Amino acid sequence: MEALRLEGLGKRYGRKPILEKINLSVHPGEVYALAGPNGSGKTTLIRLVTGLAFPSEGRALLLGEDVHQNPQARRHLGAVVEAPAAFYPYLTGRENLRMRAYLAGVKEEDRITEVLARLRLLAVADQKVGSYSLGQRQRLGLAAAILHRPKVLVLDEPTSGLDPEGVELVHGLLQEMAREGVAVLLSTHHLEEVSRYAHKVGILGGGRLLDEVVLEGRKAYRLEAEPLEGALALLKTLPQVASARIQGQAILFEGEVEAALGALLREGYRVKALHPQGFDLKLYYQERVKHA
Amino acid sequence: MLRLLVFELYKLFRLRSVQLGLLAAFLLPFLWALAPGLKEAYGLVLASGWQVVSLSLMAGMEFLFPFLVMMAASESLGSEVAQGTLKSLLLHPLPRTRLILAKLLSALLYPFVLLSASFLGSLLAGLPHGLGGFYGGTGLGAGGFAGVGFLSAQEALGQLLSAHLLAGIVLLPLAALALLYATVFLSTTASALAAVATLLLMRLLVAFPTLTPFLLTTYLDLHLRPNAAGLGLPLLLIYTLGFALLAALVFERKDL
Repeated sequence: MEALRLEGLGKRYGRKPILEKINLSVHPGEVYALAGPNGSGKTTLIRLVTGLAFPSEGRALLLGEDVHQNPQARRHLGAVVEAPAAFYPYLTGRENLRMRAYLAGVKEEDRITEVLARLRLLAVADQKVGSYSLGQRQRLGLAAAILHRPKVLVLDEPTSGLDPEGVELVHGLLQEMAREGVAVLLSTHHLEEVSRYAHKVGILGGGRLLDEVVLEGRKAYRLEAEPLEGALALLKTLPQVASARIQGQAILFEGEVEAALGALLREGYRVKALHPQGFDLKLYYQERVKHA
Repeated sequence: MLRLLVFELYKLFRLRSVQLGLLAAFLLPFLWALAPGLKEAYGLVLASGWQVVSLSLMAGMEFLFPFLVMMAASESLGSEVAQGTLKSLLLHPLPRTRLILAKLLSALLYPFVLLSASFLGSLLAGLPHGLGGFYGGTGLGAGGFAGVGFLSAQEALGQLLSAHLLAGIVLLPLAALALLYATVFLSTTASALAAVATLLLMRLLVAFPTLTPFLLTTYLDLHLRPNAAGLGLPLLLIYTLGFALLAALVFERKDL
């Protein structure tokens, strides 16, 4: 069963659609990154998924339970929906977590210390949150989100406001959580960083899910051939080639390299260079959004 | 639920408007006890400390206490929206109705705490005038401040406790109304202003005599007219319940 499933989820304010018919699913142990320009609906989608806002159409299921029909579905959910995460400034970090632990039904005091240690916050745990830096508050937000061992983690810009060390800490934690079987949905602008470990990337634009890119096992090749335009046209006709586009003076394509090379040589194209290239998510995203 | 209520109470009494309100309610009686123009304003020459207590209640209930109660109820939700902590609370498997109920109960308790602060401050401010029996009245019983003869300390205390209790009940629907607006506007200022505006609008409806007995504003001085409690008390409680129910309904489907 999918840990998180969105079925035709949509939101409109008056006549203005903000999100339209979003379908996606995240399996246990999977990291799904949501990317999209500002105003594309990422935050609205996060609010809908977490039950903070109500959809105009469709539904959001957490382990098969509708999050809007049944508040108890949120027992599976850990989330940070604001950057930096919000806490009561007059309580210490530990007291804030204690209150969250009560609301989430966590009874072990040791668990609070454990998550504080995991997010490297033990040194400031007994200081009032009002004195925390933005980065510390953001890490405390993550500590609160994982406190009750959620099965689904939903994060809006989790690395926002963090220094490079904090960013690494968060990415490391998310990978660890995914390995433990937690489904992670996060929105981000930092595509290069998440492409290292995300399994799927959903590209949002104009309130729609424009594309869903499966990153796992994705290989791209860079081809320099003459004439370039003709080679591109040929590659696009091949069923073994999933995608092909011009990048600078070369063609970037995904698919079976042997079949592509064979077809090019058969048709008399001059192949000057052909070598594998890591999948450039950022470039793909820019092209996808531009064409949308 | 009890722990949630205790936490809501803790948060309520951390609010600056609540702390300032309690301080004002406690200190203002000292000002009334020393005010030089009481005779001109209220036709009163202080004969007893009990009159300081009733004077503080009357003056406070004119505008200050209702405003403080509406402000506190508005801020109990509005401050959480402004801080962002409301979203954090609702990310837990906590029914929204339970949260708003805890906020409502704490907001409904506040008027009684506020009036207790005023009562305590008034007693201390009235001490120099004596808290024994006296010839005169509390302004809450027969004969007003002039009274109808000798009033024992016990009778005065009884009248004042009963008036404070009624005043507390008068403030309940105002707290519920402000919380209702807070769920609609999710803003402290907007909801407090909307609640004040609603009361002002209701006051204008006195021009419709058939409506008057059913208006909330008709009973805002119930502490001065205990004989109107027969219709007033049930109406105030109905208003409170009605506003609370609406607040719960609005909050249940509110986008955050």
